[in-house]
Parts: sequence; structure tokens; C-alpha cells
Amino acid sequence: MTVVDSDNKNLGPTNGGPTIAGNWTRNDLRSMDITAGHSPRGPTEVMIDADTADKHDLKIGDELRTIAATGDHTAKISGIAAFKVTNPGAAIVYFDTATAQRELLGATGRFTHVNVTADAGVSDTRLKANVAAAVDKAGASAYDIRTQKESADENRKAVGSFMDVMKYAMLGFAGIAFLVGIFLIINTFSMLVAQRTREIGLMRAIGSSRKQVNRSVLVEALLLGVFGSVLGVGAGIGLAVGLMKLMSGMGMELSTGDLTVAWTTPVVGMALGILVTVFAAYLPARRAGKVSPMAALRDAGTPADGRASVLRAVIGLVLTGVGGLGLYAAGQADQAKDGSLLLGGGIVLTLVGFVVIGPVLASGVVRVISAVLLRAFGPVGRMAERNALRNPRRTGATGAALMIGLALVACLSVVGSSMVASATDELDKSVGADFIVQGKGGLTAEAERALTKTPGVDHFSRYKDVGADITTPDGKVTKGAGLSATDPTYVKDLRREAVSGDVSAAYGKDAMSVGEEFADKHRLKVGDTLKVAFDDGRTGELKLAAITSDDGSLEKGAMYTAIATAQRYVPADRMPLTEMVLAEAAAGQQDKAYAALKKSLATYPQYEVMDQTDFKQTLKDQVGQMLNMVYGLLGLAIIVAILGVVNTLALSVVERTREIGLMRAIGLSRRQLRRMIRLESVVIALFGALLGLGLGMGWGATAQKLLALEGLKVLEIPWSTIIGVFVGSAFVGLFAALVPAFRAGRMNVLNAIATE
Amino acid sequence: MAARARQVVKAYGSGETRVVALDGIDVDIARGQFTAIMGPSGSGKSTLMHCLAGLDTVSSGQIFLDDTESTGLKDKKLTRLRRDRVGFIFQAFNLLPTLNALENITLPMDIAGRKPDRAWLDQVVETVGLAGRLKHRPTELSGGQQQRVAVARALASRPEIIFGDEPTGNLDSRAGAEVLGFLRRSVTDLGQTIVMVTHDPVAASYADRVLYLADGRIVDEMYSPTADQVLDRMKSFDARGRTS
Repeated sequence: MTVVDSDNKNLGPTNGGPTIAGNWTRNDLRSMDITAGHSPRGPTEVMIDADTADKHDLKIGDELRTIAATGDHTAKISGIAAFKVTNPGAAIVYFDTATAQRELLGATGRFTHVNVTADAGVSDTRLKANVAAAVDKAGASAYDIRTQKESADENRKAVGSFMDVMKYAMLGFAGIAFLVGIFLIINTFSMLVAQRTREIGLMRAIGSSRKQVNRSVLVEALLLGVFGSVLGVGAGIGLAVGLMKLMSGMGMELSTGDLTVAWTTPVVGMALGILVTVFAAYLPARRAGKVSPMAALRDAGTPADGRASVLRAVIGLVLTGVGGLGLYAAGQADQAKDGSLLLGGGIVLTLVGFVVIGPVLASGVVRVISAVLLRAFGPVGRMAERNALRNPRRTGATGAALMIGLALVACLSVVGSSMVASATDELDKSVGADFIVQGKGGLTAEAERALTKTPGVDHFSRYKDVGADITTPDGKVTKGAGLSATDPTYVKDLRREAVSGDVSAAYGKDAMSVGEEFADKHRLKVGDTLKVAFDDGRTGELKLAAITSDDGSLEKGAMYTAIATAQRYVPADRMPLTEMVLAEAAAGQQDKAYAALKKSLATYPQYEVMDQTDFKQTLKDQVGQMLNMVYGLLGLAIIVAILGVVNTLALSVVERTREIGLMRAIGLSRRQLRRMIRLESVVIALFGALLGLGLGMGWGATAQKLLALEGLKVLEIPWSTIIGVFVGSAFVGLFAALVPAFRAGRMNVLNAIATE
Repeated sequence: MAARARQVVKAYGSGETRVVALDGIDVDIARGQFTAIMGPSGSGKSTLMHCLAGLDTVSSGQIFLDDTESTGLKDKKLTRLRRDRVGFIFQAFNLLPTLNALENITLPMDIAGRKPDRAWLDQVVETVGLAGRLKHRPTELSGGQQQRVAVARALASRPEIIFGDEPTGNLDSRAGAEVLGFLRRSVTDLGQTIVMVTHDPVAASYADRVLYLADGRIVDEMYSPTADQVLDRMKSFDARGRTS
């Protein structure tokens, strides 16, 4: 269903919501108010919902054209009705009953739904029984009868299962952010403990036990966890309200009155937050317990450098190695199922391995980055490098936090661009047609007529998806199989090859083709007879005329038959609309045909004419859109990681107060000092980015190898994205250093160097 | 004159809680002289040095380094002044732990983007006796060696004036004597100007001139002192302080 205004502009929602047309009944007054004009009377009047009218500046008297399967119909707006409840984001038009039946269903006296309201004192279930008895008496069978509650439950279930997927995806991303948060907490507590070494030593000297010191750190973590979790849950609910407002601002009618907070949300949130904080603080707390009383006596100008240990290197190498092997095996796997298990295991192991080995890598990688990047900054650059190197464990952990998010970004971008590249490659190889015409809901008969009259076109190949249950000679029934009912030229346009039989023979009378896999599964050979029970139609016996090759991902396993064959078994008014039309321009007339096709469909804005370039671009845009959404969600983890960099730098600055004072005293300007801290931050960020991008590209390439089995044949590394992210990380580093650098610059020189 | 202070007042707080650290100080530091500033804790000797060196601001009065007035300079210019014309030796924590001895010595010049004078640098390194240890990090050096690196750093850029804040305060007497010996020689042989805050009479005896501070004022001075003279003078201050 499509509704257009007098300029042929599609009035349907742009956010994917449906356009619905129906008849206006008394029942509708329950959910809507007529805010202007009156309800539609007669064939020339139509009423539209207020949200759509607002969005497109429609007034009473404006002309609208509805495009239905049965034909086009033009009417003037007689009224505007507003929802009393939340509008789910659909565009809705109403006619009077007779017009709706004639123009939308193509038959008078027919209804798609009947709403029944019970008399006072009659329960809904009782009414349902009555209605069922009544319609059965009339000889009709299998009507779908639902009480209000059943219908609401059904809706909730449908929306709910979609929302469950969303919820788990969201929770997955939140989990990643959590993981990154753990790094941040471990790092922060490690630094706090290191800075307090003397203090802790004093505590130990005057008689605190290890346990007490240990506990004091854990209690601090507990308090922090409680505080942070309360703040987080509160901010989350606040954010939800903000998001709902934002979404309703964008046309998704959501009222904040509908906000529901299940009691589990704050409880689980708090519990997780507190547990994770205490858990993350455990290692630093243990380290604090190990501080000897002698530490109080030592002059701990700066805490001892945490050197990366050999043990760490070994463990990290082993984990990374095993993970790498897993990835390699995944790449070699010839069963997608085994492969994905290996891939998952490999990803987890290499990630953990990199986290463990990070501090060891830090010294080497930071040196390389510095050699390339910091040379230009002279002594300031050198000091930044040394500062980044002085505590590899800290640099490693800070970089690792950033690494996690960026690794996922790199992996997905590799998979995404490989998807586009593979599909493009496949298109080049297998699609011979110049143009593709498709649109939501399929082409109506009138649109199809208008299209096929276009001059300059050699031939059109129509494609209809016809549902059917297929019974194979082995006695098995394949339910819900779809037959591709097409014009005979279609398989030529797609260059479909047969491994057995002849594809064009599938277009003979009562013939069809199946894919290789299906044929193998049911041990079919050309000449076999398949029983095909068409949805809404009769059952026919179709002869298997060809088995198509499963090579290539395009329409893999599709079963082809002639439109004429389908028409023999499916009544005309039940025949699905043409979903897609391929068009081949007459020789040398590409440009002309393109323009002509666009012109033919000018009055049908819901359909799109695409040449191969357009189509590839659309594909790219779709993948890009999906990736952007994922990047947005990963942004959360990256923000947490940035906070980690900020935190590390801020604590480092405090730790180096005296050094900074000394440097300022002997002539380091504020600007140089700030630059030094910024450069250190950039180096840390680039270190994380390098590790993350490298790791992610490895994952992505492995995933592509594995998915090659599913048609992802081409590996494409999106270098522009990768380099963009790398350069972006440098800016992230600059950004993270803003506040710490500012604070360092403001530090009082004298306080910093004053002895005691 | 290498440095001058005119009517310098440094006060903290205001009203009832006002504490005057420097109370109208007038002092001239002659070029090529080794000056020691002494006085009991809280006398304002460190504050005076910080103000002269351009590390701290004054409440009123003027300070000149050579002919440049440092009071009233903005941070940027003041930093440059310190960088190019002043050397520092602190009591402790003189060196950056991430840089080796040589890098620490040349740091002020590196920051300024100047090339160190090679011959002079070699001479300084030779004088302070660090030739074999230039590649060592501070943590690999003894306390005395660390202070000698600090002295070398202060000397290497040939500043107009070097300020020392208890430069031997953390050293044992032998290492201290070594460092003071270098300072003395750099004044005598190289014509360096040095101002040093100390409470150690032995350290003060290396100086050409000793200034005594009490309650933010210069109360006495002494030329070419010996350790015993300094000690006697301090004892008399202490006695006076106790009777008053």
C-alpha cells in the first residue's frame, strides 16, 4: 500500500513503518479523534492521520492517490484524525467502507477484519464462542477469531521477540563496555595503591595487618562501586527518558508516560556494578597487602616501575599462539559450524592473549610509534615517549581498554566491506541485466503495465515469489518453500547454470528446477515429479527439468518455474505481485532506457529503478548503515576506554608532580608541558589502536575465510576506514589529554618542588 | 650586579591571618660571587631564593636579574628567563628518572632548542667527575653523583646565576664537601655567580658572603666566613631569639 500526494511524493514513513489504508468505522473513534474536517463520505473523500498530515503539510482539500494491488485511486482529503494513544509510526488513510472495498480489495462486500463489541454483561471469551458458532454456521471455516486480550498478547509477543533480539544485542555491547570498565578500574586502583605505597607502609609499620590493608582497599572499591552503580542506573533511566523524547521528536510517537522500569533493572545493574568493581580491585588490593613496612622509610619519589615480567610474556604468547592456531583452523574449516566455534574461541583467546601480553608489547610498539611520530617534537617528544614507556603495565592496560573496542570495529568493517565486495563481484559475474526495478510491497498491475511499455528496452524479466509446500518422491514434505516464478529470460539475465538438465526447460509446461543442495538432500534427478501445493491455490505435479548449480551466493538454491505454470494453479486474485523486474536495454540504448524507465515509474515513487551502479551503491549503503549502527554501539566501549586514558594521565600527572615542578623550574614552558602530556596520550592511544586494528583485521580476515563457504568470497580490507580509525585514535588521545594537560599546566611550580 | 631585590615584601593571607615571609628586603647579589643565605626555619630564606629565582611571585617590591625586572613578568617570559639565564640545584629530586645523566644535564638547552657548547659541556662533565656515568639513569647513581649531575646541569647552560636550595642537605659530609667544592671552584675559576640557601655552617663557609635572615629581614651579613665564625654568629642569634 502506498499513498502519494499530488507531486507523486511518497507519504509513507521514512523510518520503515508501514502505510495502512482502511475503512473508517465507529470503532476507530476509540483510538482517534477527528481534529479537522469530517470522516470520508463517498469515493472522492479520504481522511489521513494527523502525524502524516503534519509531516507533509497536507490540508483539507489536498489530493491524494492511493496505489493498491487493485489499482490507483485519487481522492481529496476530507478530514484529519489524530491518535489518542501512541502512534506506532505508521501512515494511515481512511475511506468509507464501500470505497475501501472497491478500491483496496477490488471487490464489494468483502472485509478483511471485523471488530465485534460485546453487549454489556457478555464476556470477551463468551463472545468469541458465539462468533465462532455463528460464522461456522454460515459454512465458512477457519476464520481467525481473537479477543482483545488475545490480540494484544499476540502483538506483544511479535514485538517482544524482535525486542528480545535487540535487547540481547544491546546487552552484548553493554557487556563489552563493562569489560573495558574493568580495565579502567584495575588500572586506577593499581595507580592509587602505587601512589600510596608510603602511606600503606606506614600503616603496616604501626601495626596494620596485611588483611586490614587489603580490606581497606576493597572497602574503598565497594563504596566506589555503590556510588558508581547508583549514578549509572540513575543516568541510564534518565537517558532512556531522553531517548524516548528524542525518538518522539523524530516521529516515533513514544510517550514518556509509557516508561517502564522493571525492578530487576536497577537491582541487576547495581549488583553487577558493585561486584565488578570489587572484583577488579581485588588484584591491586592484594598488591597493597604485600607492601612491606619498609616502604614507609624509603623515599618513594615515584613508585617503582612495573616491569613486564617474563612469566607474563610467556602466558600471553601461549594464549595468543593457541588463539592464532584456532583462527588458522577456522580459516581452513570446511564446515561452517565447526569453523564458527573455532573462530569464537580464537577471538576470545587472542584477545585475552593480547591483553596479557600488552605490557610486553608496549615497550616495542611505543618505541616504534615514537620513532616515527615523536621525532619531530624534539626533547618534548622524547620525554613523552619515556613517560609512556616508564610503566609498561599501565600503558598496556590503558591501551588494551581501547584495543577491545577498536578490534571489534576493525573486524566488523573488514567483514562488512568484504560483504559488499563479494556481492559486487557476484553481481558483476552473474547479473547480465542492466536494470533492476523493485520496491516495497511489489509492483501493482498498473505499475507493471506502465513499466513494460517503456521504450528502448530489449526485454523485461519479472520475478514473483510464490509460496508452496513441496512433496518430493522420497515422501518428505518441505513446508513453506518458495518458488521463483519468473519470465524465462530471468535465468539468462542471472546467468544461472544447471549441473543437470537445462535451465530453460524449467520454463516448459508444468516444469521447474531446484538447487543442487535440495536435489542432493532428496536424491532428486531430472525427470522426477514433485508435488507442489501452492499457497492459496491447487496442488500440481511439476516435472523436475533442471538442477541449478550452488556456485555463487546469488539466489542460491532458488527453485524456478514459469509464471504461466504458477498461474495455472494459483487463482489470479491470489497471485503474488511482481516483486522485482530485471530489464535489459536494447543495444546501445542504456542511458535512454534508464531515463525512460524512470519516467515510466514517475507516478509510482515507491518503486526504484536502479542500474548496476545504483544497485551496488544501495548495497553498500545498507551495509554501511548497519555498520554505523554497530559502531555507534561500540562507541560506548570506546568512550569508557577514553575515560580510562584520561584517568591514567590524570593520575600520572599527580604522581609526577615533583618532576613537573622541576621541569617547569628549569624552563619547560606550560605549552611544552601540555604538549608533552598530549603526546604521551597520543602514543598510548595509538598503541591501543595499532593492537586493536591489527587484531580486528585478523579476526575479520578469518571470518571472511570461514564465510567464504557462505558466499563471502572476496576479502576486502577497508583501508580508508582502518587508517581513519588509526588517525582518529590520535585525536582521541589529544582529546583525552585535554584536562590532565590543563591541570598539569596549572600546577604551582613551588608546591611541586617544595621539599617536604 | 647579577641580581637585586628592592623593598621586596612577600605576605600570605590577609587581615588577622596575614603572615609576612619577607618584610621589605633590599639585597644586591654581586656578579662572580658565591652568596649563602642563612637563617632559622621560617626566617624566609627559601622564600627569598624562590622570589629571586623567579619561581615565586612577590607581594610588592621589585626584583632584577641582571637588568631585567622579573617581577611582573607573565609566566611565559618568566619561564624563558629561568630557562635561559638561571640554573637550579634543589635539595632532592633534581633529575628526571626517565632521562640518563647526560640527557638530564642538557635538558634546559634541549628544551630551549639550543645546541650545547660541546667543549664547555665536556669541561663541566670532567670537572664534576661524571665522565664514565653519562649513560646511567638517576636510579643507578648514588646521592652524591645525582647532586653532581644537578650541578653539571646548572653549569652546562652557563646561566647568569645559579640558585641552590640546600644542595647538600641530603648528602653525607664527604659527598657534600665534593659538591660544595665544585660550586666553589666554578665561582673562583669560571666566574659563575651562585646563591645558595643553607642551614649548614660548613656549607656556608664555602661562600664569599653570608646573609642572615630572621623574621623576613636581613639582620646581618659576613664576608669570607669560616665555619666557626658562622656557627658563633648563629648561636648568638639563637640566644638573642630566646631572650627576646
